[in-house]
Amino acid sequence: MKQVVVHPERCVGCMQCMLACATSHSKSLSLFAATRETPQPKPRIHVGAGRFNEGFPNRCRHCDPAPCQSACLAGAIYRRANTGTVLINPDRCINCASCAMACPYGVIRFHEDPLGPAGHSIAVKCDNCSSRVANGLIPACVETCKSGALTYEEMDAAMRRKNRAVARSMSLDAASSAMPTGVALLKTVRQSELQLQTSALRSQGGDNA
Amino acid sequence: MKHVIVGNGIAGVHAAEAIRAIDENAQITMIGDETLLYSRPMISYVLDGSQSHKKLPIRSERFYEDLQIVPLLGNRASRVDVVQRHVAFADGTQVAYDRLLIATGADPRPLKAEGMHLGNIFYLRTENHVKQLVAALDDGFRHALVLGGGLVGFKAAYGLLKRGLSVTMLIGSGYPLSMQVDKTAGRMILDELLEHGLNVEVGVNVSAFEGNGTVRQAVTDAGRRLPCEIVVIGKGVIPARSIIPRRRIDVDLGVLVDGHLQTCEPGVFAAGDVAEMVDIARGVRWVNAIWPEAAAQGRVAGFNMAGRPVVYPGSLSRNVMRVFTLDVLTVGIANPPEKAPFRIVQRGGPSFGYYRRLVFKGDKLVGAVLINRIEQGGVLRSLIENRVPIRLPQEALLAPGFNFIQLLP
Repeated sequence: MKQVVVHPERCVGCMQCMLACATSHSKSLSLFAATRETPQPKPRIHVGAGRFNEGFPNRCRHCDPAPCQSACLAGAIYRRANTGTVLINPDRCINCASCAMACPYGVIRFHEDPLGPAGHSIAVKCDNCSSRVANGLIPACVETCKSGALTYEEMDAAMRRKNRAVARSMSLDAASSAMPTGVALLKTVRQSELQLQTSALRSQGGDNA
Repeated sequence: MKHVIVGNGIAGVHAAEAIRAIDENAQITMIGDETLLYSRPMISYVLDGSQSHKKLPIRSERFYEDLQIVPLLGNRASRVDVVQRHVAFADGTQVAYDRLLIATGADPRPLKAEGMHLGNIFYLRTENHVKQLVAALDDGFRHALVLGGGLVGFKAAYGLLKRGLSVTMLIGSGYPLSMQVDKTAGRMILDELLEHGLNVEVGVNVSAFEGNGTVRQAVTDAGRRLPCEIVVIGKGVIPARSIIPRRRIDVDLGVLVDGHLQTCEPGVFAAGDVAEMVDIARGVRWVNAIWPEAAAQGRVAGFNMAGRPVVYPGSLSRNVMRVFTLDVLTVGIANPPEKAPFRIVQRGGPSFGYYRRLVFKGDKLVGAVLINRIEQGGVLRSLIENRVPIRLPQEALLAPGFNFIQLLP
């Protein structure tokens, strides 16, 4: 069964996935019109700054078992059996934030949602674009990602591709690298910057050990 | 295999579901003194008026039938016989077990005072309590007195304030939630409540209630009289241990369990508010009587009962709540000893609109207090629970633009 697979090394931090996600969860389904909606649709995928200030697409992993589901006070979180998608029922959610306290990835947000009860903030997270998939489309974040950081495939297929790419990059004819050279260079530069920052902070603030 | 679960709170329910998920042939009996399967923390939301009582149930009426569980509801079990391996009721009924789960929860600590028989004096633990309390509010009472500034007292005071009552809260420490938050956060929370009309008195104890049928005033140790028409007592909870044979099963504050949630008696397990086990942040045995712990412990206890030896790493205190314009999230130790290996970093405060306090023990996070911007608090909780060594500079975690993603491995 296909699922959204994240390849964080390919993320360039463009945040188009966030726009596509919000748009696909709007009433108008158009980016231009969605920016004018009230309440404004918000993304369920969050591109944050990773350790080297590179982009990192942070989305719900639809964990099994799901800590959010276990912690939910109102019994509002459930799993759709056929896809394994973990969903929040907007009509049962009481906005208590117990799910956010349980989520080890910090992917849940609280706001009024265009497709939820009017005038009430509720817990919102990735729903695996269930309606799009049901209509034969792929998840919006994957459709829009240009760098290949988000793909929609069977996990086996994704692992096979990555194994092959790593193997090739280690072969005698190492002309191909496991990730685009531009991205690799960017990460090296950022990592050096971070190491410089860290040692500066350490020499100011004393040892934390 | 005969599984008997004493208690039908979330620990018992999750245990039953875990057993049934592994073993479709197991016999499961659930004993509970309450007949409804509901979310206990949600009663605070019923009290403050934001949720209807009808939303309390968290399983369908067909729960027992669908999972082929035999329900024995409406009465408390009276004792457990670990030699004969049965649970006995006062009327002599016995239920035999191969595996037993004690998930009896905790009861409100009773207040020692005169006049407790008067009407409109409430504890706040069950859906029945909140039903009676809300009914009393409908009678038009205006002045409420809340005893205790812990989780229950706090939520009672907040709920009554939201309902428009005039509320006086009597607390022991200088600020409410003193077990969960530090002085700075406590001050911010207290100020928020004071701004919304709460009256607070520190260090005042009530020794008696007076009234004519229903309560009219409380009498303090010093002899002062505080007028009140509704009283809510939130002075903590005590694990419900009365059925446990103390000479056979070790009990401290709660029932002592190991890493598999098993008591010292083989085949007898405990989970939820009644259980006592290692606290991950504190490093010592503790009772963390909170919903997410009961939910997680029940599930693991169920797996162990059904023969799958899942390890539970220990409990962890945590709470999240919305208090008017503040969101508060707490995990682990808020007030450590102020010496090595503990180290505290903090940022923000009363005039900043947010607050962050992180407590480190060596290179590991053992506590966090967050006011506002709490959405990613779960990342911090996960770091504490998994005892992850933090390799970034500790102060870096507090920078306003800091993205918690940098902590993910």
